[in-house]
Amino acid sequence: MRLFARLRSWMKSIVKRALLETAMEAEVRFHIESYAEDLVRSGVREEEAMRRARIEFGGIESHKSAMRASLGLRWWDELWIDLRYAARKLHKSPGFALTAVLVLAIGIGVNVTAFSFFNMVVLKLMPVHDPDSLVRLQRRSPEIITPVVPYPTVVFYREHARTLSAVMAMMGARMEIESDVQPVKADFVTVNYFRELGSLAACGRLLDPARDDASDAVPVVVLSFGFWQRRFGADPSIVGRVIRLNKKTATVIGVTSNTFSSLGGQYPDIWLPITEQPYFVDGSKVLTDTSGGNVEMWGRLAPGMTAKMAEQELLALTNELRKQYPKDIWDHEFIKSDPAGHIQVIKPEMYQVMAMVSTLTLLILAVACANLGGLLLARGVQREREIGIRFAIGASKARIFRQLFTESLLLALLGAVAGLIAGYFVLRVTLPRFEAPAWTSAAPDWRVILFAVGMALAAAIFFGLAPAWQIAWRRQRQRKTIARQVLVGAQVAASCVLLIVAGLLVRAVHHVMFTDPGFGYEQVLSIDPGIGSHGYTPAAAQSFLNELQNRLRALPGVTSVSLVKVSLLGHSISRMGTDIGGHPVDVYPNWVTPEFFQTMDIPLLRGRSLLAGEKNAVIVSESLARQQWPGEDPIGKQFWQKDTVVGVAGNAHINAVNDGDTVEVYWAAQAEDMPGMTLLVKTAGAPEGLPAMVKPIAESIDPKLFPEIYLLKAAFHQNVLNFELAAAAVSMLGIAAALLAAMGLLGLVVYTVSERTKEIAIRIALGAKPAHVLSAILRQFVWPIAIGLLTGVAGTAALSQVLRKVLFGVSNLDPLSYAGAMGVLLMIATAAALLPARQALRVDPMRALRCD
Amino acid sequence: MGNPIDLLQGTLDMLILKAVSLGPLHGYGVLLRIQQISGEQLEIQQGSLYPALYRLEHQGLIASEWGESDNKRKAKFYSLTAAGRRELHSETEKWNRMASLIASILHTTSEEL
Repeated sequence: MRLFARLRSWMKSIVKRALLETAMEAEVRFHIESYAEDLVRSGVREEEAMRRARIEFGGIESHKSAMRASLGLRWWDELWIDLRYAARKLHKSPGFALTAVLVLAIGIGVNVTAFSFFNMVVLKLMPVHDPDSLVRLQRRSPEIITPVVPYPTVVFYREHARTLSAVMAMMGARMEIESDVQPVKADFVTVNYFRELGSLAACGRLLDPARDDASDAVPVVVLSFGFWQRRFGADPSIVGRVIRLNKKTATVIGVTSNTFSSLGGQYPDIWLPITEQPYFVDGSKVLTDTSGGNVEMWGRLAPGMTAKMAEQELLALTNELRKQYPKDIWDHEFIKSDPAGHIQVIKPEMYQVMAMVSTLTLLILAVACANLGGLLLARGVQREREIGIRFAIGASKARIFRQLFTESLLLALLGAVAGLIAGYFVLRVTLPRFEAPAWTSAAPDWRVILFAVGMALAAAIFFGLAPAWQIAWRRQRQRKTIARQVLVGAQVAASCVLLIVAGLLVRAVHHVMFTDPGFGYEQVLSIDPGIGSHGYTPAAAQSFLNELQNRLRALPGVTSVSLVKVSLLGHSISRMGTDIGGHPVDVYPNWVTPEFFQTMDIPLLRGRSLLAGEKNAVIVSESLARQQWPGEDPIGKQFWQKDTVVGVAGNAHINAVNDGDTVEVYWAAQAEDMPGMTLLVKTAGAPEGLPAMVKPIAESIDPKLFPEIYLLKAAFHQNVLNFELAAAAVSMLGIAAALLAAMGLLGLVVYTVSERTKEIAIRIALGAKPAHVLSAILRQFVWPIAIGLLTGVAGTAALSQVLRKVLFGVSNLDPLSYAGAMGVLLMIATAAALLPARQALRVDPMRALRCD
Repeated sequence: MGNPIDLLQGTLDMLILKAVSLGPLHGYGVLLRIQQISGEQLEIQQGSLYPALYRLEHQGLIASEWGESDNKRKAKFYSLTAAGRRELHSETEKWNRMASLIASILHTTSEEL
């Protein structure tokens, strides 16, 4: 209560400061004049009364200052004085100010940028209706995680779940629009989708449960704002137009708003009611099939319900479903609920990446701060006179300390502003690269600004506190040297870590670009005919695929054709976690036809290839064989109880290109797999011309198909490109850190030398050898650099385990990266130390000694 | 009338609260009233009254308002707030307990031990 009153009074005094000052003045004057009047009344002469009133009142200014102090304004006033003084000081040495702000802008800007991304993904909620109660519902069992569930189960959950106020389903597809070559991305959604998100239409209307759910409803389509602009030139008369999708007609009913935010970070070109899916995809059984997963499921928690309660109810409902479809519900199946109100559904492994990134960015800030700390120490020496004078006229140590720290604070805040601006531009450039939805913005919000200010405070404490303390309390020389050594050591250690990580990433990019990935992708084409979604039976699929394979083999230049169940470098991957010799290992399985290894140029190192449709036989990758049966012949061994190893293939991390630790397992594709198979076609020459030839062939066998065709080469490069960008970014950070460290070291050596010019001059005058003098000055830096390097190397070695997954098989202890980073740092440190020291040796002893 | 007594450390706040509790007063009026009810026995350094007034207002124990004084001039009048009244009450109680305790100690004779 008192605290609140004080705060209110304090705010009032600050906001209405001028008013307060005049009021104080008036009140004091009133007092003195009233007293004087009373004195006159008691018989004192008028001038005498005024004089006595003033004297008895006491020093007006000192009372006023005590009144201000009573209002808690003193430290505020002093802060302003200090800030003005600091600003004047910085203005007088623009070189120092600019360097310091630049160094801080790098340190804080990098962190602000990283935090902005974190903010966007983890903290910001989507601009939709009640984002907090949105959940993504995933089908799971102890062994299997899948994002998709059968549509009939969605309907069942929707009808029976009490904990959910709404259930939405979504199914992505590619569709042909009019007769464009480029397919469009479509989402089939339940008709409550837009209403649940509270979305508004830019024109026309969006899907409406009341109008679009009826069995006799006309097929309708909603366009995305971007697609409306690109494909239809933002034609305002689009609403009501009939367009052709997959050669079927559909009426455009509206366009989503530009800032529409869709669930799961998916931004398709068009949306269609899921009940119309069989109309657009002939023979589709999506709406009735209970065996396979087809649609993603989302829900909205009913008021007062928690995700846990929903999971419990859905588990009970799943057990209910098992009675209806005993074959299709897995053992121990359950539904997992995750918050879905963010731009992306947050996965636990993302936190590991975030921790990694924030470690690196904080290291940059640490280097920047250590660097500035050194600069400030050196500056403190230059300012010894000024500070000495202030002590002499009665400033307390605390007051000097506060003033010096205020200067650091001002610098840090300027750095934060510069960092915010830098972060804004980085985001503006990068956001379009990530296909960020239109509602995201590069402009910092209150969280980012708060974060930047917090960073500035932390930085000011980190770089400003120690030097201010040291200058104000004038510690003895020994401590000064230790402070300097710690600063050097910290900078070297932090930049060492950054350089090693940068080196590892660069090596990884180099590795993936210039070494054989273990499979051939340059001349391979992937064709997903999409027959599964058209309701093909396994037998029909088999005959279709046979025909297509035969016609493809007949094409000129085609050397090999095969089938895989899990498409390569495609939209989805299949992964199994297992345990080999006590270590968790990711296994990437695939189901293939015998020619697969030939098509993909994967060498069979031992044994034989799989036979068509063979059961209980498996081919394992080389590293799996080595880990599972070290030193033994894997052929004939039992794998996962029921399968016998018939061959060993070379390592080929096709679906996890950057993870060198994964292993692969191949089984022969079975008859029932056929509707989901993807074709791989290898050509002798360049594959670029092939897609145009393949499409008409597939359509001539079955005209209702819309095969998805892509070059593996393009997909592979896309995969590597993102990684290259990351490596480039980290390299830039590493180089920036190393340069900062070099500058910091240079500054400190210059400072040390300038402090000891006289000593150097005397030694030289007495005939000391320059080499000896040099080593006497520089010896104090040798240990900090050595310890810094060792700490950096050991720290990286210990922490870089998490990097293994992205290093394309380069070891996280890659000696070249470590040696390289250490070499670069040693070179920089030597140059930074020797240059100013050599300069010092050229001083004329007599001049140096005569000086002051 | 004997020699004026110097104010005990920390009692000025209490006296101001008491003075203001009898009715709104401007700063000079507070001074006069304290002197009047103390029978002119207390000497208060005039200027030091104001930092105390400001402190009490800052703490929300008294409130101020501009009004017209007896000599028809604008003056700032202080009055007790609810929080101030509670504070005065508890301080008075504390003071009384303290005073009687000290008094009883000082009156102690050797027979009573």
